[in-house]
Amino acid sequence: MNSPYLRRRITNALAMVLSTLATLVGLAFLAWILWETLRQGISALNLKLFTRITAYGDDGGLANAMVGSLIINFIGIAIATPIGVLAGTWLAEYANRTKLGESIRFLNDILLSAPSIVMGLFVYTIIVLPSTALTHGSTTFSGFAGGVALALIALPVIVRTTDEMLRLVPSTLREAALSLGVPQWKLTLQILIRAARSGIITGVLLALARISGETAPLLFTAFGNNYMAINPIEKMSSLPQIIYQYANDPGDAMHALAWAGAFVITMFVLLLSLGSRLILSRTKVSHD
Amino acid sequence: MPAIDTAISTTDILEQRSRRDARHERLFRWSLKGCALIVLAALLGAAGATLWGGRDAFATFGWHFLVSSAWDPGNDVYGALVPVYGTIATSFIALLIAVPISFGIALYLSEVAPAWLRTPVASAIELLAGIPSIIYGMWGLFIFAPFFANHIKPWLTNNLGNKPDDGKLSWVAEHIPFVGKLFGSDYPFGASILVAGIVLAIMIIPFISSVMREVFQTVPTRLKESAYALGSSTWEVSWDIVLPYTRSAVIGGVFLGLGRALGETMAVTFVLGNAMQLSASLLDPGTSIASTIANQFSEASGLQKSALMALAFLLFVVTFIVLLIARLMLRQLARKEGG
Amino acid sequence: MTDSAIATNPTPVAAAAAVPSKLTVRDLHFHYNGFHALKGIDMDIPEKRVTAIIGPSGCGKSTLLRIFNRIYAIYPKLEANGSIELDGENILDPGYSMNRLRSKVGMVFQKPVPFPMTIFENVAYGIRHHEKLPKAEMENRVEQALRSSALWDEVKDKLKQNALGLSGGQQQRLCIARAIALKPDVLLLDEPTSALDPIATGRIEQLVEELKSQFTIVIVTHNMQQAARVSDLTAFMYLGELIEFDQTEKIFTKPDKKQTEDYITGRFG
Repeated sequence: MNSPYLRRRITNALAMVLSTLATLVGLAFLAWILWETLRQGISALNLKLFTRITAYGDDGGLANAMVGSLIINFIGIAIATPIGVLAGTWLAEYANRTKLGESIRFLNDILLSAPSIVMGLFVYTIIVLPSTALTHGSTTFSGFAGGVALALIALPVIVRTTDEMLRLVPSTLREAALSLGVPQWKLTLQILIRAARSGIITGVLLALARISGETAPLLFTAFGNNYMAINPIEKMSSLPQIIYQYANDPGDAMHALAWAGAFVITMFVLLLSLGSRLILSRTKVSHD
Repeated sequence: MPAIDTAISTTDILEQRSRRDARHERLFRWSLKGCALIVLAALLGAAGATLWGGRDAFATFGWHFLVSSAWDPGNDVYGALVPVYGTIATSFIALLIAVPISFGIALYLSEVAPAWLRTPVASAIELLAGIPSIIYGMWGLFIFAPFFANHIKPWLTNNLGNKPDDGKLSWVAEHIPFVGKLFGSDYPFGASILVAGIVLAIMIIPFISSVMREVFQTVPTRLKESAYALGSSTWEVSWDIVLPYTRSAVIGGVFLGLGRALGETMAVTFVLGNAMQLSASLLDPGTSIASTIANQFSEASGLQKSALMALAFLLFVVTFIVLLIARLMLRQLARKEGG
Repeated sequence: MTDSAIATNPTPVAAAAAVPSKLTVRDLHFHYNGFHALKGIDMDIPEKRVTAIIGPSGCGKSTLLRIFNRIYAIYPKLEANGSIELDGENILDPGYSMNRLRSKVGMVFQKPVPFPMTIFENVAYGIRHHEKLPKAEMENRVEQALRSSALWDEVKDKLKQNALGLSGGQQQRLCIARAIALKPDVLLLDEPTSALDPIATGRIEQLVEELKSQFTIVIVTHNMQQAARVSDLTAFMYLGELIEFDQTEKIFTKPDKKQTEDYITGRFG
């Protein structure tokens, strides 16, 4: 009579132990990765990183890559944010529960996880190739193309958060504005977006964190540049692309530089995630 | 309030305002819709651009492209088999490892962990999702692959490989087919399909486990409580009640992880070894679709470039289908909740 | 339907004869999503009085209220038949301008919903959409509205602060100020105190007493005691029909219909 109970107890205990183990495994790898990035990255940190460009190789720094990343990321977010916020607004306010709206929401979720390298090839086809032909080869790869590629990756993130945040706004707010005679477009722009503001900003920050680490799409759009470039029409290097390049280099000094770049990116992404979490929690407090 | 005379003009003003508002409303609506349609355009554009770029390769090689393991830039002969195999094998290994671990994590976070521990641990696991894939690549290349090559690979090749030395488990390779081929390798370094699969697994664990956890939490408490009231243990409730209730969403989560694994570039490129060779061994280097493109596209031209584009199209189509299935299955549960 | 309505409800017409009718509802039917929500409503809502609409959940009282300013945002696939006359014009007529309707009929909702702006901006927002006023006049209008809603003294020093920082009762008075700032003729209140504590509720009820000298007020409430305290006339609705409509005192002491009596005495909820 004890046997079935004992067996069930053992199974249960085993399951509990294994699940705890699984969590420990996950956390262990997280710690390992972060620790190594910190260790390798910090040991390679020095002032040269920020002041010298990659043209000097192992005697150089990552200055042009960092500047390039800033510019390309900025272009990406600058393009994706207005389009994404407007698209998300359409989904939440005008097309909620319609067939077209549901389909676009669905497709947006797919775009969210689509392979980024394919997006890079898409931008290659529609921007790099035509600009090469039109300018007879003087403008081929460009920071701008890189920005567009990153915009395509950031876009679905912003669409989704804007959509979700707007749908959280209680419908009575809309009714209250409508009953004052305010037209829907005005109330959407002036009231609803303002009400969902912090959520939307969080979405933009998350999108920025996501694109900061993207490498593959930049390989065939911004391509890379060993000298400092600030004009988006020129080829531009970026931190992820330099890391890719240096990691494949046989020299140890280059590896150290790659680690330094990896460290900088990781810190940036972690700070962004923390920042967006803070913004979200602060607004929750004020709503009560 | 207004006098009779001004009442009439007030009506006129209100009429004008209504018409103006209607115009603005239409304009606004159209610009919003246009932006939303850009999402659709992006997907169509990506598929179209890669198909267009790969048309030469598809035209030249036809269906043979999918099954040929040739890749000879000198003679302009290309086949997709090696990269496709690499993509599928690494993703499959990643799922094999990630799904049980993700389930364990989801179970731990929903049932086992004390309340105060849940949020910090959950946030920590989510952090794994935020780490850019190139960091995984760096870690994989410089830390994990050498570690694997020094400590794990020798054990595997000795015990399960097809050239067993005096490994204690060599009887496994002698008696079970395929095992020897899978784990035998002369390649001295850690870069391999297996290592790439492991790195991918770590990458997709947070995605799958967060979907699973969310989904477990949607199970109505009443359902679980009635099972507990009948004397079921925590494990039994999870396995017999929660899992079947959330089955389609769990599968959806797994497919979501698969979709990400298939398209991942940097995490695998660093540790796959970039070898355009088809090997039965998991411990040999290989290549995936994304890494082949990443490694070769910049220098490629002509037919090679077209072949790479064709590979990209294949990847996009397969990923699209996998993600489509994933989202459909996830929606099924949402619908059950009336959400 | 109209004849029998007069036959069964002679009193409201007679009562209203003493005071002109502001909103005259005739044979109003309302469908949404295939559901017949309002069935043949006939009602004369008198000017500058408080009319309460009571009834169990789902009886259609909020639906009826929302037709008075055509806030249909939450009703898919709707159809309204019949007429509602405001100052002699049928507001259900598609030609009747929404802007005009909304400037004549204001509404306050169950949950206080201040806009995410300053207190001043909240009140000014609606005015700005309809009228172009110079700064000094706008400030006057805002002050007037805030005084009429008994909020001025509490917020006069913090007009530039975010409205979300106010308490629930203050937010609701702000919403009232926002609505009356447009100087409407009719004020619709949809369960305005159900989200508030008893003290705030008392203040709002007091406010309603004061406001009826300026506005025609229609209030929907599930709280019968509130209806008894605050209104001059009460309408009882059940399952989309107007069962009885009469002086408040009569409804709560000697109602004509048995259904009304059952509801009043709590026999069904």
